[in-house]
Amino acid sequence: MNARSRNETAPVHLGMPGHGPEAPRLGPLARLAPEPLKVVLNWGRRYSLWVFNFGLACCAIEFIAASMARHDFIRLGVIPFAPGPRQADLMVVSGTVTDKMAPAVRRLYEQMPDPKYVISFGACSNCGGPYWDSYSVTKGVDQIVPVDVYVPGCPPRPEALLQGILKLQEKIARESLGERYAGRPASPAGAPGAASASALTSGLVRGPATPGEEAGR
Amino acid sequence: MSDDAPRSEPSGTASGRRLPGRGLAKGLAVTLRTMTRRSVTDQYPDALPELPPRSRGVIGLFEENCTVCMLCARECPDWCIYIDSHKETVPATTPGGRERSRNVLDRFAIDFALCMYCGICIEVCPFDALFWSPEFEYAEEDILDLTHERDRLREWMWTVPVPPALDPAGEEPKEVAAARKAAERPDPPEQPGTEPGRPGGRGPRREGEA
Amino acid sequence: MTETTVGIGGAAGSFGAGTGQGTDMVLNIGPQHPSTHGVLRLRLVLDGERIAAAEPIVGYMHRGAEKLFEARDYRQIIMLANRHDWLSAFSNELGVVLAVERMLGMEVPARAVWLRTLLAELNRVLNHLMFLGSYPLELGGITPIFYAFTEREELQRVMEEVSGGRMHYMFNRVGGLKDELPAGWTGRARTTVARVRSQMGRLDDLVLGNEIFRGRTRGVGRLDAGTVHAYGVSGPVARASGVDFDLRRDEPYLAYGELADVLRVVTRTEGDCLARFECLLDQVHNSLDLADACLERLAELPPGPVNQRLPKVLKAPEGHTYAWTENPLGLNGYYLVSRGEKTPWRLKLRSASYNNVQALVELLPGTLVSDMVAILGSLFFVVGDVDK
Repeated sequence: MNARSRNETAPVHLGMPGHGPEAPRLGPLARLAPEPLKVVLNWGRRYSLWVFNFGLACCAIEFIAASMARHDFIRLGVIPFAPGPRQADLMVVSGTVTDKMAPAVRRLYEQMPDPKYVISFGACSNCGGPYWDSYSVTKGVDQIVPVDVYVPGCPPRPEALLQGILKLQEKIARESLGERYAGRPASPAGAPGAASASALTSGLVRGPATPGEEAGR
Repeated sequence: MSDDAPRSEPSGTASGRRLPGRGLAKGLAVTLRTMTRRSVTDQYPDALPELPPRSRGVIGLFEENCTVCMLCARECPDWCIYIDSHKETVPATTPGGRERSRNVLDRFAIDFALCMYCGICIEVCPFDALFWSPEFEYAEEDILDLTHERDRLREWMWTVPVPPALDPAGEEPKEVAAARKAAERPDPPEQPGTEPGRPGGRGPRREGEA
Repeated sequence: MTETTVGIGGAAGSFGAGTGQGTDMVLNIGPQHPSTHGVLRLRLVLDGERIAAAEPIVGYMHRGAEKLFEARDYRQIIMLANRHDWLSAFSNELGVVLAVERMLGMEVPARAVWLRTLLAELNRVLNHLMFLGSYPLELGGITPIFYAFTEREELQRVMEEVSGGRMHYMFNRVGGLKDELPAGWTGRARTTVARVRSQMGRLDDLVLGNEIFRGRTRGVGRLDAGTVHAYGVSGPVARASGVDFDLRRDEPYLAYGELADVLRVVTRTEGDCLARFECLLDQVHNSLDLADACLERLAELPPGPVNQRLPKVLKAPEGHTYAWTENPLGLNGYYLVSRGEKTPWRLKLRSASYNNVQALVELLPGTLVSDMVAILGSLFFVVGDVDK
């Protein structure tokens, strides 16, 4: 429990300025349902995770391997046939997120319907991994989207992804959506890294103008 | 376009044109044949995979062997090993002897969120304190929990498998060669360099250690 | 001048005005799009359903590996170098160690040379299997990838047993390999190679004879030899256009010189998508033969070391060298400039996919959007290899 509360304070509070309707869209059923019904709802959610593979690098290959016959995560109720983020419940970020790619990651995350979950798969998306000192790599996807489960490895073996999925399913089973979205509404207090996709895009940095060049123009 | 062309061409063009749908039928036959076979799926959460001993899953720390030389932390390409230590003085064991100071490990942690699993730390460790274990089940909900402190690293130590026997066609391992040389020598002078009896001989062989 | 910008994938919207003229539609494919396997972005100018101009926009996977090489010593570089083309990790490492060994004038033990050749060929099979599975998937057939990955898992198991990694082997060291083989590994490798070879027929039957597959690939995306030379395209893509060039034969490194009777450089002359696919498929057969030949040769070799003792601090002498290898996807070169320090002063990476993808500029105009996926997939690129 301790770990969980720590987790919820750290990255989840990403307020989304400019994306008003993005704030919790919880139906009354999920909010007001009595406890037994919530258990049933969680149970349903837990075993039908339509997954959207944000395949970026090496780890994406291991993700594909996990979806193939040998490891076959459809056994666990994870369905890799989501046509796009708008139909997905779970995003698996597998691979290096570069600064150039970060806005797209954020944008596609915003397109997913609530409740949505993110698994960060591999060292690069956990915190940069081998590219920790690179100028162009985002040091961890949790800087731009909240992450539910971190799977370590470089790349993690497919079984490790399966274990991460099991971990996520346990989390879904014991969570309450009301709590999950309690801290979400667009209250800027306590939401330090509030970043939308557009905020992550910035123009090129202009170099200092040399006098000679100025004169030439 | 040499000798292999005839192999692939007739299946598609010549005979394909003669009998439309032959390629599709052949494909379906493959599927049907596979249907009669056993499935290749591993039932992971119920049945754990059999992993080879060299598999790079997690790093275990055998603390007793660690002398806090910091080589692992310095050589790590990701700088994901954190070591704290302090010096302690050991009183002289013999009367009139000198006091000696030794390093005591305070903290040894590996950040597995950052680790790139290259194994350089294990290779450079001169005292065999670090080992690969094939365990992989340690996904976490909080990234801070992926930094394994020394007690957790010690737990992994007990999952380290016996290193595999080496191919007989290869060169004799250095340790074995040294031990054999020491045994074959007519009068065994106690040479400190050979160290034939490493504790239990548990350390996997290292190469390129230099 | 009206211009409609339509986007598929994450980067829609923010990229608009550009080169299109008239009422041409500018279509962004990617960077996150299922058919780009990875994060390549294509900016297509469409005239109706026909592509008028195409521009691959690279850089979404740029991780600055070349700059990082300058801050890593020669042991650490090997660990980083295998990650740009994640499907052929072993061959990438090989380029680095070959360059460093050449600088040092180091002689690699014979056993290590043969082992490297063997592992490089197994790695080639692994790489090609991925594309043999994913290419039909992009054309609408989901089944072959399951078979391809079943084979891949078998091979990965063998590779993991020897190196400890399923994808990033990190098994090369300057002067040889990290470790001796485990006992009995050669036997298991032999069985696996035989099993993979016996199962390759499934891919033949499923894909190559399939009328739909042939219909979608035959005559589509013809790449002529002139364009191949102009854009520096290499590897199976170039050989499918009749450019008979393979470093394994033309500038033998490792033990390829002694394997000349087994090595068969697969070429085609058509230069279309089907030819490229056939090249890949035939290369797998040949690589399996090469692997068998290496295994046989390994059994005959006298016992010997697989690596050399290295100095505590490895410094390449001042100078420069260029080492290139025939990676599964094409020429992979490392230009190493050393100023006699622990780290290289510069390590330039020439990756195959970068050049191969540039040929899209010539290939795509004039084709239909629906053929775009077939052409894109048949160029067999890895995005990390494009962007480094």
